[in-house]
Amino acid sequence: MSLAGVVDRYSERDSPVHRADARAKVPAAFAYILVISATREADWAALGLLAVPVLAVVLASRLGPWFVLRRTFLALPFVLAAVPLVFTRPGETVFTLPLLGWTASDEGIRAVATILGKSWLSVVVAVLLVSATPMVEILRALRWLRLPRILVATIFFTYRYFFVIGEEAQRMLRARDSRSARLPGQRGGGTVLWRARIVGHMAGSLFVRSLERSERVYAAMQARGYRGDHIFLADPPLPAAHLVGASAFVACAVLVQIGVRW
Amino acid sequence: MILSVAVALPTSPPGGPGLHIPDGFLSTPIAISGWVVTIAVLALAVRMTNRSLDERAVPLMGVMAAFIFAAQMMNFPVAGGTSGHLLGGALAAILLGPWAAIIVMTAVVGLQAVLFQDGGMAVMGVNIFNMGILTAFIGAGLYAVAKPFARSTAPMLVVAFVAAWLSVEASAVATALQLAASDTSPLDVVLPAMVGVHALIGIGEGLITAAAIGFVGATRPDLIPRAATVPEGAHGT
Repeated sequence: MSLAGVVDRYSERDSPVHRADARAKVPAAFAYILVISATREADWAALGLLAVPVLAVVLASRLGPWFVLRRTFLALPFVLAAVPLVFTRPGETVFTLPLLGWTASDEGIRAVATILGKSWLSVVVAVLLVSATPMVEILRALRWLRLPRILVATIFFTYRYFFVIGEEAQRMLRARDSRSARLPGQRGGGTVLWRARIVGHMAGSLFVRSLERSERVYAAMQARGYRGDHIFLADPPLPAAHLVGASAFVACAVLVQIGVRW
Repeated sequence: MILSVAVALPTSPPGGPGLHIPDGFLSTPIAISGWVVTIAVLALAVRMTNRSLDERAVPLMGVMAAFIFAAQMMNFPVAGGTSGHLLGGALAAILLGPWAAIIVMTAVVGLQAVLFQDGGMAVMGVNIFNMGILTAFIGAGLYAVAKPFARSTAPMLVVAFVAAWLSVEASAVATALQLAASDTSPLDVVLPAMVGVHALIGIGEGLITAAAIGFVGATRPDLIPRAATVPEGAHGT
C-alpha cells in the first residue's frame, strides 16, 4: 500500500479553482470556515445560503460532486460528541428511546442538526482546498503569509519525510506480522501488555532510525550549502483577479451572516 | 483518538476521531481564543527553538514530526477489533523538550487537518493547544520534576508512563470543557465520557511511550536528555 495515495489528497484537474493562486485560496478557505462557525443555531436560511457559493466552487472545480462527497465522510466519526445534546437539551419531547427512557427534544435535534450542518459544510470547503491545491503550493502560501520560517520549513520537512518514515513504519509492521504467524483457532502473541511493549520498542526503534536519518539529512544539506535558511524560488506575482475572486467568495459568506441578522 | 478499527489502519488517516475537534463543533469565540493562546505559545516556542537548536532545528524537527506521524500508524490489537496506538505528544516532549515538541506537534496536527480533514481548520488553534501544547508541557514538565528523584531507569519509565497517561487525560478534559463551553455537548455527559474513554486510551499511550523511552535509553542512551539514563547511585542532577 503506497502512502502517496493516502497522504496526497491533490486531484489533478484543469479548472479555474485549480489554477487559482494558493495565496488567495488558503486564506479564503480559512476565512470562509471561520465565518461558517458564526452561524446561529437553527438558522437554516444562513446554512443554505452559505452552501451556495461552496456548491458553485464545487462545480467550477470539476472534481465531481461524488468525489467531494466521498471525501467529506472521512471526518464523520466525531459526530458522536454532539449526539447527547439531542437528549439533554430541554424542550418539547419529540420521541423517547425505548429502552433507556431518554427523551429527545425538538431543541436538541435542532442544535445537533446545526452543528452537523456547519461541520459538514466546513469539511466541504477544506476538501475543495486540498483537492484543488498541491500541498507544496499550500505551504508556499503559508510562507507568503509570514508564518514563522522555522514552522513552515518544519511542515515542509514533515510532508517530505512522512513518506519515507511512514514506509519505514509500514515495513516494521509487515515484519511484525510475518513473524506473528499463528495456527488457526489458537491465540497468538502475548498479553496486551506484551503487545504494547513490542509496539513501544518499534516506536523507539523508529525514533532512533528517524533521528539518525535527520542527522544524515542535515549533513547532506550542509554539503549543499545549507546555512540555516531555506532558499525558495521567488514567488510569482499574485494576479489581482485571483485575490478579487477569493475575496468575493468570502464576502458572500460575510454578507449572508450579516443579512440573516438584519 | 486511539481506539479505531484495526483494519482501518494504515489505509485510513492516522489519528482518527476523538481528540481532533472538527469545524462546527466549537463556538467562534472559543475557536478564536484557541488561536490566540496557541499563536502566543508557538511564538515563544519558535523563539526558544531558534535559540537552542540553531540551523539544525529544521531537519531535526521535520523528520521528528514525520516520525510522530508514522508512529501513530503503529497499532497493536487490544480486543474486539479495536487497536491501540500512539498520540505522541508526551513522547515528543520527553525526547525533544517541550518547545521543539510543540513545533513538531503543530506540524503533525496541522497536516492532519489539511490532508485528512482530521480536525478542523478554524478550530486548529484549539486542537494544537489540546494535542500539542498541553501534552508537551505535561510530558516535559512531569519528566523534569521527577528527574532528580530517579536514580535508575525503571522509575523514569514509570514517570514516562504517568506523563503520557496524564497528557492524554488532560487533552480529553480540555476537549470536553471546550465542547461544553461551546454548548455542543452537555458537560455532565461529555466530561465523564471523555475522561473515562481516555483513561483507558491513556494506558496504551503510557505503555508505548515508556517502552519507546526504554528502548531508546538502552540502544542510544546519548539521545535521552539526561533523564532515563541517570546512572545507578548518582544523586540527581
